[in-house]
This record gives sequence, C-alpha cells and structure tokens, in this order.
Amino acid sequence: MDGGKVTQGRTAGLYVGAAVLRLAIFTLLPGLPDLLTGRVEISTPVTSFKRLQEGLFLYNHNVSPYDGGVYHQAPLFLPLFSLLPSFSNLPIFTYLLYIAVDLLSASALWKIADSGEAGSAALFTSPRRDKRWSGYVIAAVFLFNPFTLATCIGRSTSVFTTCAILHAIAKAVSGAPFGALVALSFATYLSLYPLLLLPPLALLCYDRQRPERATKSAAKFTSICASVVAGVLGVLFGMSYLITDSWEFLVSTYGIQLTLSDLTPNVGLWWYFFIEMFDSFRAFFLGVFWLHLSCYVGGLTLRIRRQPLVVLTLLLGIFAIFKPYPSISDTSLFLALVPLYRHVFPLMRYTFLAASVIAYASCLGPAFYYLWIYAGSGNANFFYAVTLVWNLGLSLLVCDLMFAVLRDEWEVERPEMAGKEIRQI
Amino acid sequence: MRLPNIPGFSLPKLESYISRLPLFTRAMLAAMVVFQVVGLQHSFDVRAWGALIPDEIGFQTLYRTNTFPLIHLNAFHLVLNLLTVIPLLERFESEYGTLTSLALFFGPLTTIPALLYVGVEKHILGANTPVMGASIWAFLLFGAEAIRTYRTNPYFVISTYNIPTWTSPLALLLCMAALVPSSSFLGHLVGLVVGYIWGLGYIKFLAPPEKALRWVEGKLKLPARLPYFVSVDQKTYGRFGVLPTSTGPSSASALHLRRDPRILKLPPYLSLLCIVVGVVWLFLLPFDDYSRRTYISENALLPGQVHTYFSGSDQHVFRAYKHELHALAGKSNIEFNDKLEPIVKGLGLKTARQNFTYHAAGHTLEGENLYAILQAPRSDATEAIVLVAARENVRNEVNINGIPLALTLLRYFKRWSLWSKDIILVLTPDSIAGPQAWVDAYHDAHDTYRVASLPIKSGALQGAIAIDYAQEGRFESVHIVYDGVNGQLPNLDLINSVVNIAGGQMGMGVAIQEMWQHDNKYPDRLRTMLRGMLKQGLGLASGPHSSFIPYHVDAVTLRPFGDGWQDEMAMGRVIEGTFRSLNNLLEHLHQSFFFYLLMQRERFVSIGTYLPSAMLVAANFTIMAIALWIKSGHPEGATTGADKPKRLSTQTVERDLFLPLGVVTLCQSLSVIPLYLFNHAPDNTLTPLFAVFTALNTLLPPLLSHHLTAAAAPTEQQYHLIKSFSLLLLGMFLSTLATLNFPLSLLIGLVSIPLTFLRPLSLAPSSSSSSSPSSSSSSSLMRRRLLAAAAMAAVSPPAVLLAGCALWGVGVGDVLRAAAVAWHVCGTWTQVVVWCVWWPAWLAGSVVLLGRPRGMGTGAGK
Repeated sequence: MDGGKVTQGRTAGLYVGAAVLRLAIFTLLPGLPDLLTGRVEISTPVTSFKRLQEGLFLYNHNVSPYDGGVYHQAPLFLPLFSLLPSFSNLPIFTYLLYIAVDLLSASALWKIADSGEAGSAALFTSPRRDKRWSGYVIAAVFLFNPFTLATCIGRSTSVFTTCAILHAIAKAVSGAPFGALVALSFATYLSLYPLLLLPPLALLCYDRQRPERATKSAAKFTSICASVVAGVLGVLFGMSYLITDSWEFLVSTYGIQLTLSDLTPNVGLWWYFFIEMFDSFRAFFLGVFWLHLSCYVGGLTLRIRRQPLVVLTLLLGIFAIFKPYPSISDTSLFLALVPLYRHVFPLMRYTFLAASVIAYASCLGPAFYYLWIYAGSGNANFFYAVTLVWNLGLSLLVCDLMFAVLRDEWEVERPEMAGKEIRQI
Repeated sequence: MRLPNIPGFSLPKLESYISRLPLFTRAMLAAMVVFQVVGLQHSFDVRAWGALIPDEIGFQTLYRTNTFPLIHLNAFHLVLNLLTVIPLLERFESEYGTLTSLALFFGPLTTIPALLYVGVEKHILGANTPVMGASIWAFLLFGAEAIRTYRTNPYFVISTYNIPTWTSPLALLLCMAALVPSSSFLGHLVGLVVGYIWGLGYIKFLAPPEKALRWVEGKLKLPARLPYFVSVDQKTYGRFGVLPTSTGPSSASALHLRRDPRILKLPPYLSLLCIVVGVVWLFLLPFDDYSRRTYISENALLPGQVHTYFSGSDQHVFRAYKHELHALAGKSNIEFNDKLEPIVKGLGLKTARQNFTYHAAGHTLEGENLYAILQAPRSDATEAIVLVAARENVRNEVNINGIPLALTLLRYFKRWSLWSKDIILVLTPDSIAGPQAWVDAYHDAHDTYRVASLPIKSGALQGAIAIDYAQEGRFESVHIVYDGVNGQLPNLDLINSVVNIAGGQMGMGVAIQEMWQHDNKYPDRLRTMLRGMLKQGLGLASGPHSSFIPYHVDAVTLRPFGDGWQDEMAMGRVIEGTFRSLNNLLEHLHQSFFFYLLMQRERFVSIGTYLPSAMLVAANFTIMAIALWIKSGHPEGATTGADKPKRLSTQTVERDLFLPLGVVTLCQSLSVIPLYLFNHAPDNTLTPLFAVFTALNTLLPPLLSHHLTAAAAPTEQQYHLIKSFSLLLLGMFLSTLATLNFPLSLLIGLVSIPLTFLRPLSLAPSSSSSSSPSSSSSSSLMRRRLLAAAAMAAVSPPAVLLAGCALWGVGVGDVLRAAAVAWHVCGTWTQVVVWCVWWPAWLAGSVVLLGRPRGMGTGAGK
C-alpha cells in the first residue's frame, strides 16, 4: 500500500486504465449511461445531463435556454457543449470530455497528495505524517470509486465543479494563490456553494505562499482574495450575459439553489422538508437551512485554523450532506479527499460502521426508490428514510474524521496522553 | 471549565447519583419542590409572598432575600434550575460541609446578591422587576467554579487565540439573556459577580469558623444522627471522602464489557439465534394469532353488490363463437387473428394488432397480439381495464373456452352504458411473451427492434383479469393465480374482490396456489404459504397477468377447475362482477396490501408480520461480519494463546484491507461469467454447459485458494476480513432484496447459512498443532480439506439447483431454458441474485474454508 515506485509507466497505466474502463462502460453497456442519468441519486435538477441537453437544444434554436424552467445550469456550459459534435450522432466526444475531466480531477488530487499538506501544514505538523498513501494510490481510489464512476457515466455536470474545486486546492497547496482563486471562482460560477470554501481556501493560500512573493499582511491578503474572486466572477457573469442576452440566468441557476423551487427528490435532506412545508414558513426555513449550511464555515475555519486542508475536506463532507441539491458526486469528492488523512485513520473509531451504513444506504436507496416510483407499493417516506440513513453514515464519517484530526492535534499538545483512552464529558 | 463529575447518562448511574446527594442539597431540592406544590393552590400566593421585589423590601420583609431562590415561576423554570443547581450545590456541599453550606446559603451568599440587586434595580435603574428562582445560585456557583478553573487552567485556545477561562460563565450569561426571554440579566449578573468575589476569596471570612462548626457537630453528634450529612472534617478527605463512590471499574462498564474476551465468542451464537428465530417465526405465521382474515379496504370496490345479468341468450352467442373458433384449431397465429379481427370489429370495437419477436436460449418466440378497445360511454378514455385471453395457457393447453367467453363478455359489455372506464380485450398467442410485449408497448417501455408499438391506446390501466379456461365441461371452483414477475403481487383488494364475488355471491369454491383441497388447518395453510413463497421466490411469470404487475397494474388470472355444476356463464358472471367492481374505482387500487403471504383464500399475513423472519436471517450475516471485523482488529493470538488475557486491549492492530477487498471484488466480478453464459447459451447446449460448469465450480475454490496462498499468503486476519466483507455484502444484498422479493431473500439466506459458520480449516481446534508437522496430522488435514471441499460443493448453487430439479422431477435444461426466457422476456432478476449475490458469497466462503493462514502469531504487521 506504499504505492511502490511511481514511474511514468505506472502513472500512464492508471490514467489509461481509468479511461479505458469508462470508455468500455460507455460503449459496451449503451443503456447504462441513460439509466444512470435518470437516477435521482446522480442527477439533480442543477446537474442533470438530460436537462443540459434540453437547454442546449433551446440554445441552438435561439431560444433562451431558461425558458420552460428545465435548465438550471450555468450558461457557459452551452457554448462548450455546442462546440462538441452533436451528442445524438457522435456521443463519443461527450464521453471523452467527461473522461478527461475525471482524469484532470485525479491529477489535481495527485498533486494535493504529493504536497504532503494533509500531514504537515504550515502551522501544524502531525507526528504521524510518515504513514501516508502516495498520490498514485489516492488518485486510483478516486478514479475507481464506484460513486465517481457512476457520476462520470451518468454525465452529471457536477464533475466540472469537482474538477474546479480540486484544482483550486491543488493550486493553493502549490503556492499559486491566484490560480486557486480563479479555479474556486469557476467552481462558484458553476454551482454557487463552493463560494463558502473561500475562507479556508484563502487561509490555505496564505499559509502556502511562496516566501519570495508572500503578502504578510492578513488584511491585505484577504482583500486581494476577495477582489480576485469578485473580479473573476464578474467576468464570468459578463460572458454569460453576452451569451444569453439577459440576466435571467442568475435567477434560473443560483436562484433555484437559494429558493429550492425544484423539489425533485435527491439524496439530500431538503426536498422532503420543503415538500411538507406550508408556504408561509418557506422563506424562514430557507433562511435557516442556508444559515445552517454556512455556519460551519466560520466555526471550522477558526477551530482548525492550523490545518486549512482539513477544514476544506470537512466542509466538502458537510456540503455533501446539507447542500440543497446534493448527489453522490459530492460524496465522491469528499471520499476523494478522505484518504489524504491516512495518518489519522488509526485514530478513527467508526470507519467500519460508517462504511457499512453508506453501503447499506446505497443498496437500499435504489430499491426503495423503485418501490415508491415504479412498483407503487412504497411511498416517499421509504426513500426519505434511506436518505436519512445515508446522511447519517456520511455525518458519522465527517465527525469521525474531525475527531481523529483534533485528537492528533491534541496529542501534540499533550504528549503524555498519546494512545491513552479518553472520555468526553 | 470543569463541570461536576456527572457520571455517564445511564439510569442506574443517575439513581446512584441521586441517592448520594448530600443533606443540604436534598433539603433545598425538597424545599423548592414543596414551594412549587404550594404554589399550585390559589388561596395563598407563594410567589407574591416570597419573590424578591425591590419596592417591597423593608425590615419586615427581609425574609424575601432568603426565600426568593426557592420559589419558581412554573414547573419548567423549576426543572431547568434544578438541573443546573443540584450538581453545583452538591459539589459545593461535599467540599465545604453541610453546616457551612447552610450558613452560607442562608446567609451571605444569598443576601448579598439580593441586596446588590435591589440596590441596583431600585436606586440606579429605578425599576421594580421581581425576581425569583435558584438560577442566581447557579450563576454564583458557576462564577466560583470558573475562578477555580482559571487558577489551574488559565486559557483555552481557539485556533490561535487565548481566551481566559473565567469568561465562560459570561458567555453563558449572554446566551441565557438572549435565548430565555423572561430571564433577569441583572439578577444573574449580580449572582455571577458575587460568585467571582467568593471564588477569589475576598469574602471567605464570612464562612463560619471551622472550630465552631466542629464543636457543634461534636456536641450534637450530627454526622451520626443525620443521614447524608457531610461533616466539616470529611472535606479533608476530598470530595467524596466517606460517601459511597462509583468511580473505578463500574464507571466504565461499557468499556469493560468491550474488553471482555467473551464478547467475541458471542456472535456465532447470536447468528444462530437469529436464524432459528427467523425460521421458527416463519412456521408460526399460519397460526390464527399471527395471520389475519382478509378484508376489503377500498370502499369503492363494493364487490358482489350488483346484480349480474350475464346469462340466457348470451349462452347461444358463446356457443356460436366457440364453434367458429373450433374450426381454427391448429391454424397459425396470423390466420387466427385474420379470422377473429372482423368478428371483434363486428362488435363495434376498435381493433389493432401488434407483432413481437423475442430471442431467448437460441429460440425465437414470435407472434401477433390482437386487441380491441371498448370505449366507455361515460368517460373520456383516461382509464381502462383489461381482459386478457391467451390462446394457450402456461401449461400449453388450448384455451378452448376462454377466448369465446372473452368475446361473449365483450359483446355483452358493449350493450351496457354504465362503464366509466374503457375495456380492452387482449388476445395473445401465448401466456408469457404476448402479454409482456403488449404491456411493454402500452407503457412505451419496449425495445422497438423486437416489439412493435401499439397503434391505438386507451388510458391508464387500472386492473387486468386474465381468463384461463382450457377445461371442458362444468367446473366446481375458481383458481386465482396472482404471482407476478419477480415475486410482485397485485393489491390484495383485487384478490379479495374476486374471492368475495366468486365465493360469496356466486357460491363457487375459490382456491389459491394449486391447493385444490384446503381444510383451513395448520398443515394446509403452511403448504399454501410455502408454495406461494417458492413461486414468488423463483420470480417466474405464472400466467398472462404476471406481466402487468411490474407496471403497477393489479392483475390476476382466473382458472376454473374441478368437476361441479358451474357453467361458462357462471364464470362470465364472476368476471362481470369483478369488472363492475373495478369500474367503481375512483383511484388506483392502493388501500390494501401489496406485500402479503396468503395461506388460505381468506387468511393472510402482511409484510410487517413476516418481514422480520427474512431480515433476521439476513441480519445473521451482518452480525457475523461485524464480529469478524472486530476480531480482525485484535492482536493475533490474543484469543488462541495459552494464557488467556483477562481483558482484551481496546487498542486495535492495523488491518490490511487491500488483499481482502481484492479477493471479494474478484469473486463478485467473476459472477458475471455464469450470469452471461446461462442467459445467452443456446437451448441444446444448456445441459452440457451446466455439467461442465458444475465440474469447474467444484474445482474452482481449491484452485483459487491454492493460488492465493502461493501468491499472497494471506494471514489469519486477512481471511477474517475476506469473510467479513463477503458476509457484509451478502447481508446487505439480502436485506435489500427482502424488501423487494421476500421469499427469494429468505431462500437464498437459508441456503447460505453454512457460510456464517465457516473458518479456515487449519484453524479448527484439533488441528491447531499444525506447527508441529507430523505426517499423520498433515494427512488428516488433507482428508479434512477434501471433505470440506466436497461439503462446500454440496451447498453450491449448481448443486442446490440439481437437488431442486431432482426433487420436483424437472430437467435441468428445462429450468435453465425457462430462466433464460424469463430473463429476456419478463426481466426476471432471480438469476442475478443467484449468480451475483449467492455464488460470490459461496466462492469467498469456500476460499476461506480451504485457506491456509500464514504462520499464526506472526501478526498482520505492516
């Protein structure tokens, strides 16, 4: 599990293997991509490939893509996908694009792993950091994770967000704050929620600045970060405006995330609440849910100030649970970053439990969805109960990782307690 | 800050904590409760009497400065304050002694804050807010505690900022003020300030001198006379000096239990218990106490409430049709349809035809469906009911009476004006492929290369009745066939309606599950239930109705049987009555059960009653998986070593996951091979293929085990993990399956039971001396391995299939062909379960059984 020597050949082998596997699934099982695209666990209203096709059709016929209320994704996807040959005639190009994006994500993850940031940040060095997996292993775990595979085969557009977030982190750890912020702005432009990652990412950039061009003043650095993100977002919005000729896209893409106006079921916790809710309380609870989602940012950033990458990882896990439209793609992003903390795995206590709960839920979820939607013998509560279990499993994992990281920090402060049993009071 | 040591949250601990509360704390607790109870009556207002009201404070009313903490606004206020104050007070008292606490809390520590409050409130703020409640004590004690914590532990660190610990009660104060609207900020604040002062020791002099207290105690023999009294001297022995204590072993009883080596011995018995309870549960179901009588849930159905008029001259029509069709015996499907289509058109119905071609097991199943739609006079074609008659039934008998009866019924229905749903007549050449093609195309879920689309359609299908009437002459009873594809069932209301109409209204017998005789006693009920479970577990189509059920169209096939005095018209009246009931439906059948086991026509158990049995069987695998996971984390040799340690360490060794995961993944991915082979091999090769596969399958585990040992030499821990993961997957799949197809899950679970109790042979107790290789022991090991391989082969999927075929006297080739047809035509998933759930688990289990763990005790160490 040390990954051995990572030669050029092995690197290429991994990428080619992952690409061939995906291509084989695309071509040998032609029914599967469409099946997965229709699954609510993979495609949410804001990432569905089917909806993208609809938007693309409207766009290519000079109708506003947001007419009809089906397309809720960023406008810049439209020129990108209309540059590709038509999906109905030559789907292979779309497949190749998705495969390439996955490989790009994997390479960013590899960079993050090789930087060793997870074990030794600027302000904190874990005594256990020697026990870690190489970038090869971590990239392999990401590429062959069934959730990542399913997301890629289901052609959810969240893979672009995943790629952008991973690149933002990779740039940040390699001391390129500008690149990191630009990548984060792209992620924000595509899915809005990555904006919440800005504080820990900015801290990571700040800690990892190259000494020769470091900005020492925190205030100055913060303002630079904010202005870069605002600037890039402004440019992206401007381009979107030029493409669609109206500001309608703001309401259709970000508005729907903020107001949850499409209540298609997904693996998250929001849809059921808002189906059940009386309209008069809707605005209030939208506020509460968003506040809840964003309140983790400040607390975690402060508490684990010395390890910003941990904050980013935990936040991605929390977003995978509490976001308005989560899918297994968000889980796959979180699970991609978890192996970076190989050194604290021995401190984690519920890995088996969390893994079993997640596995059970991913088995029962489709079954209960089938009972609800197709067989008609179940109802929405079946599926919602499974999503609760799923999120319970994820939160166990998030909490356990947080516990392990904090314990690791604590043992540095209190070396005499290392390895002893402690009890929380 | 250090909170009072409240041990755990378990009830016994809480009880012991309460029973150890010292005297003064008890007294205060009692006083507060008493005041609250007194406050319940109206003649004497305790709150007005005792609260601290600034304007009322004079010499006469100075008692208020002492009573106000004992009086509360309401029960909620009381409970909240008690919860915070009692632990703090208990701590204070056991530290300073009962007499000191009495003196202080009925003296300076209550009066000073009270006077301070009155002073500020009245003279500075000029207000007059009454306060009461023990929260002032809470804040006072918090303040004192905070100062003490501050001395030992001055700062806590949030990220990089040091925050002095004495500020924490202030944060609490602010939270209280913000969250509890009626709380008095000023009251709490003065309490806190006095607490700080006390903590800093500036008013220590107010406490009565120890000498005096000791004298009083000695004279009055207080410690001996009063229970729970905390003497002044006891404080020198620490907080719990003489009081009974529970710190030590019992405080960590859960941890203690975890370390007990016996806990690891438990899971196999637990698994066994699960299995036994699961099986016994199943056999209890037919008893009256566990099963229920059926009942009609959907009020709209009103079965048997209408007069049926199908008889008289319709009998002549029936004979005429039968005569026409008799001439068509042996004609091809197309000729048949050519002849029938004008007849149906002649009834005034729209007709259409549909071609289908299926390829399965080297065969081509093709044919042409003919269907006709009777448009309801009273609705807009949004809903429809289907009447299906196949030319051949599932046993390949010609449906001699079924098709004429269906035609006659349609002709009769056409004359009525009361239909509010369209009626569709579907005539199919066979009982499986034809209906499947038609339903698929009706719902646009068909593969257009094989099945033609339907040229005309009606509304959403609400129900379907299939007639299987191949019997000549008069009949006695009706047999209801209700099993759908993959063990799905129609809504129980539909079956109940038919039972009600045929049995109740028409007075004919009703049978289910080919139980021609049923005395409604335990053996017959059990037999009926088990037959139903077997059929549902196999998941095959059992009649033309089966294809409808996956589309959420409730359907049954009715088949007359026996020798009695009922004629075709009686059968027609049953169908008429059922159609009239379905016609009444306001919405889709949804009220009654979709998951049930019928054990007699009027007795059933619902999912809530029977599901535990399959879930328990599935849970046994999960329990074992968890146990093996825990076991694999313990240092090796800890359980098998000569001197058994009294307690296991909770420290776990690192687990090497990659080899076990790899083996399990390999087993799972190998399963695609048999699945593909048996579904795509041509008919005539199926039997030889099966023979070859069975032989290979017997050799596969030793081969795999040999290569595994040669290539990776797994440790004992890794074998445990292989088994753990494989059982985890099995348990997971089976519990999921139990929600979809309960009988199949139970069957697979039962035949997989041996997998739970496997362990590597060389670990078995008698061969633990394998470290000293003598020729006799190694040859006995060899013999045992052979025996084990043979035993595993006996419970392998192919062997069980063979045994099943022998038991029911059917050819293996026929079974495999039927399975392949079902896979391609109906989408039965039984094969997937057998090959991709059961077989990999069996394979992994065999590998574990034959495994030779690398030298024991060398540790997994990596």
